[in-house]
Amino acid sequence: MSGQFHRPHAWAWFLERPGYVRFMVRELTSFFVAGYLIVLLVTLGRLGGGEAAFAEWLSALSGPGWMLAHVVALIAAVWHSITWFAAVPQAMPVYLGEKKLPAPLAAVVMGYGPWLTVTAGIVWWVLR
Amino acid sequence: MSTELTMTLEVFRYHPETDHEPRFQAYEVPYDEDWVVLDALNWIKDHVDGSLTHRWSCRMGVCGSCGMMVNGDPKLTCAVFLKDYYPRPIKVEPLVNFPVERDLVVSLDGFMDKLEAVKPYIIRDDVNDTSGGEYLQSPAELAQYKQYSMCINCMLCYAACPVAGHEDEFLGPAALALGHRYNKDSRDQGQAERLDVMLVGEAIWGCTFVGECTVVCPKHVDPAGAIQQAKAVGAQEFFKRFVAPKGAGV
Amino acid sequence: MKRSDEAFWWALFSAGGVMAALFVPAFVLVTGFLLPAGGDGAVAAERTTQFAAAVGWWPVKLALLGVLALSFVHCGHRIRHTLMDLGLRRYSGLLKVPCYGGALAATVWAALLLWRV
Repeated sequence: MSGQFHRPHAWAWFLERPGYVRFMVRELTSFFVAGYLIVLLVTLGRLGGGEAAFAEWLSALSGPGWMLAHVVALIAAVWHSITWFAAVPQAMPVYLGEKKLPAPLAAVVMGYGPWLTVTAGIVWWVLR
Repeated sequence: MSTELTMTLEVFRYHPETDHEPRFQAYEVPYDEDWVVLDALNWIKDHVDGSLTHRWSCRMGVCGSCGMMVNGDPKLTCAVFLKDYYPRPIKVEPLVNFPVERDLVVSLDGFMDKLEAVKPYIIRDDVNDTSGGEYLQSPAELAQYKQYSMCINCMLCYAACPVAGHEDEFLGPAALALGHRYNKDSRDQGQAERLDVMLVGEAIWGCTFVGECTVVCPKHVDPAGAIQQAKAVGAQEFFKRFVAPKGAGV
Repeated sequence: MKRSDEAFWWALFSAGGVMAALFVPAFVLVTGFLLPAGGDGAVAAERTTQFAAAVGWWPVKLALLGVLALSFVHCGHRIRHTLMDLGLRRYSGLLKVPCYGGALAATVWAALLLWRV
């Protein structure tokens, strides 16, 4: 059993395959989503602090820095949704007898459909 | 006759009795558009360097012995053609995430232990009782696991999995997919035994669904999907404990 | 050997992943763009009223708290496993404290804020 060769592990293993990079981008969405959710808590806090405090906070949020931050947050959140719905047919296959529900259809039924409904509903409520 | 076309294979060499470190050796091989990488390796061994060591058997993508890294991708060398790389050189290395025994040959020991651990065979309480005849199975029941039964143990998925490379406790894509394959088999009664192995430590939970196992699988097994489904079964079993006391018929 | 408690966290992570996928983009649209872009006038006042009315209704509060709690655990779990994959594997147990503890703290904070709205 002498002398097996063990390859050293690269610290930056996640750059070794394009699939690893895509994986890491998907995982990193959670950092941005978490960051946004903290900001959302601040927004809820200001809402509880009265009209003046809330208006002041909204005016701060309309600045370029916060706008940019929210653009980044939106991209991360949407990317989370897209990658999550892509994984759903793999993780939760639906069988109709011998046939598996085709992945694109399953993603629409269990992902994109409910997603668009929820998003449209929330946006409609605020804008109406 | 026209001049014979050739191309270069850069082959990973490591002989433990003489080499402290692996090295790469370049070989000029005849270029034939019908040749796969394995043909070129066999040509080198037959005509240039008999000391080159590699595994192969069926040459038709069934035995799962000839998996190697081809230009950094885990591939069955019997299934990748020279013409897909010509005229650029091809770099051939042993599968990553396994200890190298010699040249292109990796150690199978760790993989075999993991495979055995998930009990990849049908387990029944009434195994010696054949009075009831065959165990019948409907096409719909077969469909539940058929895809996961196509595994040929070629280990390409382990070479594609960063978790398999970093976490020793992780059972890895093929073994977990096979465990799930038997758990989903309507004739099987061994799920609890297998889950006792799969749900321990990082055995299955090390998986972060990178998904590259499914990308490289030559048999379209989708180990990544099987592992997530097996995790979901594990989660159900976890919460069942609070609903039904141990021993209750749930 | 004892089965890992990771099943519990993974289940919450999965449920949270669904919640975050379904709701967070819409939340960002509302609180990041629609509300701040309303300006100072009547439009802003009207959108704020609508937003406050929704968040102030107790069934929405409860649902929102559920979505937020699960999303926090989702993020905590994913952050923990990302850090493990990046080389902190041997601290997998220790990482539970900030990751799941943080999610719990954020949930309690969210509950207090929603109570006050």
